[in-house]
Amino acid sequence: MRGKFLKVAVAATATAMLATACGGSSDNDNDDAGSTGGTLRVYNAEPAFLTPSGGDDEPSLYVIRSLFRGLVKYNAQTSAVEMDLAESVESDDQKLWTIKIKSGYTFDNGEPVNADAFIRSWNFAAYSPNTQNNGYFMKRIAGIKDVQSTDPDGDGPQKAPEPKAKELSGLKKVDDLTFTVELEAPFSGFPTTIGYPGFFPMAEACIADIAACNEKPIGNGPYKMDGSWQHNVAINVVRSDTWKGEPGKPDRIEYKIFADVDAGYAAFQAGELDVMYTVPPARYKEAKATYGDRMYEQPGDSFTYVGMPLYQDNFKDKRIRQALSLSIDRQSIIDAVFDGRFTPATGFVAPTFEGARTDVCKYCTKDVEKAKQLLAEAGGWPAGEKLVLWANAGAGHEGWLQAVGDQIKDALGIDYELKVNLQFAEYLETADQKKFTGGFRLGWGPDYPFMETFLYPLYGTGSGSNNSTYSNPAFDAAMKEGDSADSIQAAIPSYQKAEDLIGEDLPVIPMWFNKVGAIYSENVDQFVWNAVSDADYAATSLK
Amino acid sequence: MGRYVIRRLLQFIPTVLGTMFLLHYITSLAIQFSGNPVRAMFGDRTPSPAQLQALTERLGYGDPCLSRKGDPCLWRVAADGNGWLGTSLEPGLFFDRLGNIFFRFDFGINLRQREVTDLVADAIPFTLKLLVIAIIFEAVVGIAAGVLAGLRGGSFLDYMVKISTVFIISVPIFVLGVVVREFVGVKFGNVLRGQDWVPDLISAGIFTPGFKADYPFASLIIPGMVLGAVSLATTARLTRTSIMENIRADYVRTAKAKGLTNKRVIGVHTLRNSLIPVITFLGVDIGAAMAGAVVTETIFNVPGIGRLVTFSARSGESSVVVGVVTMLVLVVLIANLLVDLLYAVLDPRIRYE
Repeated sequence: MRGKFLKVAVAATATAMLATACGGSSDNDNDDAGSTGGTLRVYNAEPAFLTPSGGDDEPSLYVIRSLFRGLVKYNAQTSAVEMDLAESVESDDQKLWTIKIKSGYTFDNGEPVNADAFIRSWNFAAYSPNTQNNGYFMKRIAGIKDVQSTDPDGDGPQKAPEPKAKELSGLKKVDDLTFTVELEAPFSGFPTTIGYPGFFPMAEACIADIAACNEKPIGNGPYKMDGSWQHNVAINVVRSDTWKGEPGKPDRIEYKIFADVDAGYAAFQAGELDVMYTVPPARYKEAKATYGDRMYEQPGDSFTYVGMPLYQDNFKDKRIRQALSLSIDRQSIIDAVFDGRFTPATGFVAPTFEGARTDVCKYCTKDVEKAKQLLAEAGGWPAGEKLVLWANAGAGHEGWLQAVGDQIKDALGIDYELKVNLQFAEYLETADQKKFTGGFRLGWGPDYPFMETFLYPLYGTGSGSNNSTYSNPAFDAAMKEGDSADSIQAAIPSYQKAEDLIGEDLPVIPMWFNKVGAIYSENVDQFVWNAVSDADYAATSLK
Repeated sequence: MGRYVIRRLLQFIPTVLGTMFLLHYITSLAIQFSGNPVRAMFGDRTPSPAQLQALTERLGYGDPCLSRKGDPCLWRVAADGNGWLGTSLEPGLFFDRLGNIFFRFDFGINLRQREVTDLVADAIPFTLKLLVIAIIFEAVVGIAAGVLAGLRGGSFLDYMVKISTVFIISVPIFVLGVVVREFVGVKFGNVLRGQDWVPDLISAGIFTPGFKADYPFASLIIPGMVLGAVSLATTARLTRTSIMENIRADYVRTAKAKGLTNKRVIGVHTLRNSLIPVITFLGVDIGAAMAGAVVTETIFNVPGIGRLVTFSARSGESSVVVGVVTMLVLVVLIANLLVDLLYAVLDPRIRYE
């Protein structure tokens, strides 16, 4: 018996030592690659999908943008649209767009990047049985309704019927390098939308086996996959020799995957990462103090608001909404609750956008006298009723919402009640069903760098994310005027007119826009942040 | 022995089914009360009904019972009205799940449309390494400390073991984990990384704030030690008490009187008998270590089972939670069975009929 026990112990120890030895020897090979200086190691969370049609979350987009390139790109500073793979994107009536593609571009597997590559990719995304997240972005292209279908009785479990068509009727190939896109309605901002990765091309081989392509995407951009996607661990990309455009600066980009941003920050502190595109909120002040000039800060474009349920009687009078907005001191909440990580909103369009102005909302700076006066004019708040403020649970919204409630109570004497017990899914369903009984927290991020993305989806009559049920024919008309303007620039005055209407009617109380805080290590020579597509790793150079 | 094993294995069936029903019911209730997790994936962007519906069906959240609060999703009304045993009902979501898991080995997909079996296959090597490190660490160090303290009760060493174990037991693992990560991984590691004479395996491999793909084993040593730390303290205390008790036992006195060497008296007679409660504890502890891995893996960014469960539970991916926890239940059951069988090896008086 003793012999057996000891043997087991010895065997176990030996195995452990062997395993350590193995780990040790393989480690040494990797070290040399790290010291060449051509490898950019970046923080990333686990992406959802690595195909252009599937990935719509930040971590996915970061990887997709180095593997793929689209028709247009955005200027890093001005966010203006510049041609990338496209020779030209033109239209006479803003409804039928003709796109010419530069010749000579190929995918990593040798397939040409031609008109078919784009038509194929967009059709694949739009066809609802493919369940691609970016199908959402194809909504403007003519024929979208025919490629999506719903279960007739809407309660499952039987499958929704096959959609009427497999392909979007609005996409037509003219020749190898030219195709036309017909939209459902004129949209002057169309060229700004197609720089979004959902509109990037996909190879035939990729769509033929989408699952394999998701593990090892066949890209057409400056980088290609080095090995497959190591789920939850890393994604490595290396310079692609098939890319004909401006080459990326680092030889190799390693996306290290972290499930928890704090663990990522610890790795950054230990010198294992070169760039972190985000900083844990609790460590923001510390990071700013520690890394100083290696922290990149810029106003961002994610918008937080308190929506007003216009379907409830108490919120129908715009003077009440104005009074509520006037009683909030946004900066003091930002400083007290968020360590100054946000910019107070005085408009409805992100400050980085072309056409954004700072004084659209006349009711967004604290003015208690005016608030009281407006409330009195509107007949006051119904006596004995509480103002309900809604937010989803578990996401840290309680603190600031309580501050908002306190400020309103101080200014107007309206007692409030927080309703912060719904999980996000149920909260969104409540929003979709228009069942909020008071102000509700929600946010919005732009889909493309064009003012329209901050206006129509949120305030257009019957629009998908119009949770306040605002409806104003004058607003819709101004939006339509902008949509059919001759150019992006020509559209801005019309959209500004529409934004002014919102600033007066306040279907939502604007709160703030985020601030971008990225940190980079001493190895980084020049860090490039694109105003639209965020950290640009291909343009970031190492020392 | 054989019959005993078979009896134990048969007992697994109700245990596993019961756990699976609980898991199924809890995750279904979570969806019934907190909404369709597929809707949350779209966030502020309202999806078209067609898209939402197609994705909900694809991901397996389309069963209508998931929108009826409190429904255990056991039965559903048969489509043609002719269900099971002459009623209009037929087996519902729970039985679909059981069938898929046990007959087709299909654990379903997560919200990102990856197979749960793939997710587990990816994650399990990391968790296994972590558990092996943790168990070896707690067994070797814990038993050694316990023996030393037990043999010299009341000595300085004994007090040191007693005090340090109380200290470790009273610190929750998430505090210990974060403190070790910040001070050992980041601060102390940075000092080491600044020294040229320290080999990379140590400075960048072992003393790192989290798992690193470049050092797949070395970077798990500290997380493993943190995971094993709490149980180490318990192991040490258990061994200490057990040794103190056995050292005064009749058979030890007899052995000494027979003139056996001290090594043999302690190593064979005392230690082997003292280890029975310790082995029980270590066996049961595999389950606890799995639970601890949920915390440790998140803190140290280890892409293992614990982290998988944490994030799946957060995003409401019921198929992942049901699948992975069922597997964990099996692991714990098997570990417990092995421990029981090991008693017979350690103590000749124990026989299984």
